[in-house]
Amino acid sequence: MSETLVNDELTPLSTAPTPVAPGGRRGVRPTGRRLWRQLTSMRTALLLLTLLALAAIPGTFIPQRGLDPVKVDNFLRAHPHLGPLMNHLSLFDVFAAPWFAAIYLLLFVSLVGCLVPRIRLHAAALRRRAPDAPRHLMRLSASTRWETDSTPGEVADAARAVLKSSHWRVDRRDEADGVTTVAAERGYLRETGNLIFHVSLLVLLVGIALTGLYGYKGTVLVTDGGSFANAREFYDVFEPSRLFSDSQLAPFSFSLDKFTAAYQPNGEPTSFNARIHYRTSPSAAAVPYDIEVNHPLNIDGAKVFLVGHGYSLRISVTNAAGHTVYDGDTPFLPDDSLFTSHGVVKIPDLDGRKQLGLTGFFYPTEGFGSNGSVTSIYPAPDRPVLSLAAWSGDLGMKSGVPQSVYSLNVAALKNIGTTQLTPGKSWRLRDGTKVTFRGVDQWATFQVAHEPGKRTLLAGAILVIAGLLASLRVRRRRFWLRAVPASSGDSGGRTVVMAAGLARGEAESFGVELEDLVGRIAPDDGAQAGAPGTEES
Amino acid sequence: MAPNLHLAHISDVLLTWAVFSYAFAMFGYAAEFASGRRVEVRGGGAEAVKQGTRRAELVGRGAVGLTVAGWGFHLSSVITRGLAVHRVPWGNMYEFSCMVTLVAVTIYLFLLTQPRVRTALTGKRRTSESVRCLGAFVMAPVVLYLGLAGTVLYAAPGPLVPALNSYWIKIHVVAAITATGAFMVSGVITVLYLLKERYERGLPPLHVSLLARLRSPMNPDRVSLGPGTAAAIEMTSARGGLMRSLPSAAALDRLAYRVITFAFPVWTFAIIAGAIWAEQAWSRYWGWDPKETWSFITWLGYAAYLHARATAGWRGRRAATLSLIAFGALMVDYYVVNTVITGLHSYAGIS
Repeated sequence: MSETLVNDELTPLSTAPTPVAPGGRRGVRPTGRRLWRQLTSMRTALLLLTLLALAAIPGTFIPQRGLDPVKVDNFLRAHPHLGPLMNHLSLFDVFAAPWFAAIYLLLFVSLVGCLVPRIRLHAAALRRRAPDAPRHLMRLSASTRWETDSTPGEVADAARAVLKSSHWRVDRRDEADGVTTVAAERGYLRETGNLIFHVSLLVLLVGIALTGLYGYKGTVLVTDGGSFANAREFYDVFEPSRLFSDSQLAPFSFSLDKFTAAYQPNGEPTSFNARIHYRTSPSAAAVPYDIEVNHPLNIDGAKVFLVGHGYSLRISVTNAAGHTVYDGDTPFLPDDSLFTSHGVVKIPDLDGRKQLGLTGFFYPTEGFGSNGSVTSIYPAPDRPVLSLAAWSGDLGMKSGVPQSVYSLNVAALKNIGTTQLTPGKSWRLRDGTKVTFRGVDQWATFQVAHEPGKRTLLAGAILVIAGLLASLRVRRRRFWLRAVPASSGDSGGRTVVMAAGLARGEAESFGVELEDLVGRIAPDDGAQAGAPGTEES
Repeated sequence: MAPNLHLAHISDVLLTWAVFSYAFAMFGYAAEFASGRRVEVRGGGAEAVKQGTRRAELVGRGAVGLTVAGWGFHLSSVITRGLAVHRVPWGNMYEFSCMVTLVAVTIYLFLLTQPRVRTALTGKRRTSESVRCLGAFVMAPVVLYLGLAGTVLYAAPGPLVPALNSYWIKIHVVAAITATGAFMVSGVITVLYLLKERYERGLPPLHVSLLARLRSPMNPDRVSLGPGTAAAIEMTSARGGLMRSLPSAAALDRLAYRVITFAFPVWTFAIIAGAIWAEQAWSRYWGWDPKETWSFITWLGYAAYLHARATAGWRGRRAATLSLIAFGALMVDYYVVNTVITGLHSYAGIS
């Protein structure tokens, strides 16, 4: 499953499992084993990685429910034939689709199947001693030879001391005829890192699953001066996970003192701030806090984020008899980035007989758009104007069908007047009803999220990086030294020393390291030998 | 605080200088690269060859000088931009492009100084000649990128949008920039690897075989070629061509791999840091936003490359192709996602 696996099989530094000999028992079992071997092979992993990448692509071009449900609805409306088919294939929920899950689950199964034998092998390799020197050291591309007056034993001791101090695993062997060899190896961290990296991918999966099974998130709209308590019924939208129970909701609450936004002259926002007071429990003291875009509130394992904002208009309605039938902050929903907003007021009981509906557009800074129509030209409430239309008839609120509080179906209603109001101004309808635009407040939407897998994910992520760095940047290498005593004859009475090394992947680059090692093992004699061979193999 | 328009203007001018320095450096590298062959072809005595080599060497060193000068202008441009807008100078696509190319040039200059890289490419430790032959190929996309940045993507100096206003911009975006710059360099080396590998297999260069196919009698829409084009093809298709001056395919492959083993962990870190930031800013660490998805696709692509490089039958050409596909995904992540697809990462600052 990892980069080093097959590489190992092909190089003398192998620690990888030797392929099991084919054949053996016949029947169902060998087929199963062959399938398993197929699934855990590098080729399959490669295929699955590529498939996963390809499978993710449609999720970025086709509208996704998780990102923009409105866009999906529009798409379905625009494509009455293709849409349902695509829906059936989960193309609007690519990342929750069964076929997407199938790919990554297979990838993880393949990963586990690959990891288990490799962990076992690596554990064995960690305990094994460094392998014997090859017969002909000088045939290796990075090798050198020199003569010295020291005995083979002294050379070996010197080599051992140098290697040990550089954290090599060293093994000294005395052969017949007084020949002494030193075998050393280092860079086990590469495979350790590699295994850690792949195991921590599984840790990430566990973290994702924890959040998916036990977390919750919800959004709530709060107007200046309003408050929220963390219970399911106070949320506008609440998305619990599969194993969530209401007892997991921490008993905190908060109130919004004031929301403020600042803008550049071109209308781009520069900062958002929601000043709140929160309590960790109903009996606790209120603590002030500023929730900003990159500054959520951490409370009892949950986080409260500022995710949206808009205008809330204080509107009051008094009927002909002089009774106030409506008085409150009415949230208007923004339609564009300059906060042209729309909202409605529904009064099902104006005077015991009639119903009244008001639909409005709000322009924080009124002006004219490029096509000459009235629009907002700046997001801050510099020149606020509320444009209202009044409707009479049956608002349909008693039919029992749930209605949006932000829209009014005017098809069956009768328009009884329109007007434009600035804050503080009133409008008297023909029937004597008085509508007053009392002022402008702001609302903010907050998202509360609880993700129990977060710590696991963070730990997994740190291990991913650490493992990756070790597996990609550490090089596995071996070093050998053979010292042949003077008595062997052909050296004119001096000890002949040969040293060579191998680095996996980059054979040619061991030359520099060899030169350095030899320089430290035999500062005087080694230098006479000149620079060791560094030619490319 | 309002941006300092005077400083911002200085930054723009410095960037223009940088682009011109890089462009001239590119021609210098190209001249040195091409001369390696010309001298040999012309024949002449050993003395002539030696003299020609020396002249080429001078041109090559001049190109390095220009690159360093361009890098100086480039760095100063980025710094003055940051001072002008009172924030980190990587808040929109224009600034991001400037940073990515700065990283790419820095990595190239770094490789130039590395004895291990020199040895790996040609076995000559003392001269940077072997690395210089990459120069023209690194400069070309850098000039292209900066040209696009200065024209199409240019954004007037201004403050950050609130979502970007976090210390994470120093962590997540710097990692993304570093990895992108490194992937750019590895992409260039990989293209050269594929060309050289083709040459080493004894096949004619790609454009020659493509044109040959067009000219073949089997092709119904036979393309007529002017005599000039034909001569140019003859010249470049002569066995040896410019390809001979490139380091061996194996050396290029290893160098590309080394750059990717640097970039891949950094990219991984960028994604993770992005997830942590997303959790702070948008209340979820991963939401399959188009930018997140394409970053993940890029990650999978390079992961596939690393696996392919270790799979029998996949190492070499196929692995290199995977790495180029991954780079393609990175470019989609950068250009297409920022400008075409709407998502949470719409910070391009262009309209």
